Amino acid sequence: MFHRCRIVGIAALVAAVGGPAAAQQTPAKAAPTAADWAAVARLPDFTGVWEQTFGGGGRRGGGPPAGPALTPEAAAKRKALQAAAPEDNQTANCLPPGMPGIMGQPYPMEFLLTPGQVTIVIEAYTQVRHIYTDGRPLPADPDLTFHGTSIGRWEGDTLVAESIGFSPLTEIERNVPHTDQMRITERFRLTDPETMSIQTTVSDPGVLTAPYTSTRTLKRHRTWTIAEYVCQENNRNFVDQNGKAGINLGSPGGKAK
Amino acid sequence: MKIRLSVSLVLAALPLLAAPLGAHHSFAPFAMDAERTVTGTVIQFDWTNPHTWIWLEVPNDKGGVDKWGVEGMSPNYLARRGWSKTTLKVGEKVSIVVHPMKDGSNAGTFIRATTADGKPLAQTGQPTEP
Repeated sequence: MFHRCRIVGIAALVAAVGGPAAAQQTPAKAAPTAADWAAVARLPDFTGVWEQTFGGGGRRGGGPPAGPALTPEAAAKRKALQAAAPEDNQTANCLPPGMPGIMGQPYPMEFLLTPGQVTIVIEAYTQVRHIYTDGRPLPADPDLTFHGTSIGRWEGDTLVAESIGFSPLTEIERNVPHTDQMRITERFRLTDPETMSIQTTVSDPGVLTAPYTSTRTLKRHRTWTIAEYVCQENNRNFVDQNGKAGINLGSPGGKAK
Repeated sequence: MKIRLSVSLVLAALPLLAAPLGAHHSFAPFAMDAERTVTGTVIQFDWTNPHTWIWLEVPNDKGGVDKWGVEGMSPNYLARRGWSKTTLKVGEKVSIVVHPMKDGSNAGTFIRATTADGKPLAQTGQPTEP
């Protein structure tokens, strides 16, 4: 009787705090076993520090990359945003760019492979992405975040990551805001032992007439470590609410306020 | 026609050139088509994110000195290209070519520099470490 009361009580408590939603946010994880770690060791070796190659990648010779194909409404919006002449975006104020821009920074990133998860430690703005490879589905109604919510699966030697749920503060590219329909698919694979290709496809029927695919090439740097990047340490750049960019030269020779 | 073609090629190349440098902020406050050489004595070198800042005392024509600030790439970026926090030392003389501020403030963004002993300093290029 006492036992039954307690179960009823727990059930009531779970219902009160929204049990199913909470369970969806934090699925219970079993402790990884030696077999789980052995399985990680059989995956392609993504470990270590990688940096995008600029100037020598697929863009060379082909001219500037074709931009995303915008719906007429999105094209008009971009034109209006450009006409409003914002001189900079919020990264000048140290807001991180979020996805997909955070993957294109001139700073390295480190890949960590552990059972059920791929973690990307991004030096720029000290950011971290978590790609869950434990078989969980994407959440139905995720909170909106700078990197979205990501799950991944291995298709042979390719890690395929799917991400949804992005903050409205991120952009597909400059002056192209996304809608809540944006979905990003990334295909990570080694094209040789020290070279990684990341093919990124952004789909957003609210803004794009077709999915937008671009490819980055990264080189592994075996001697590098990820350095600290605290943007607020001494940031003198800013863009104000009117879109005017500037430099704070107060306290010259001191630290930025 | 030929000139227009060249200009469009240059414009097409600009985003590619600017991409690595423009990650944190635009260059809107700087006169990117102007260059100015600032020669002075280092009073402070901020080895900080998101940008390094070189602070100089520069003699002016009134017999005094002006304080100049020069924004450079981040320590993270520079450390992989041969720089360290001691590359510039307080009291050292240095000559820096900058894109100056549009508003005439005593500041600019680093293009290239030469130390007192004639050593050139660059902030861009491929990483020097494998």
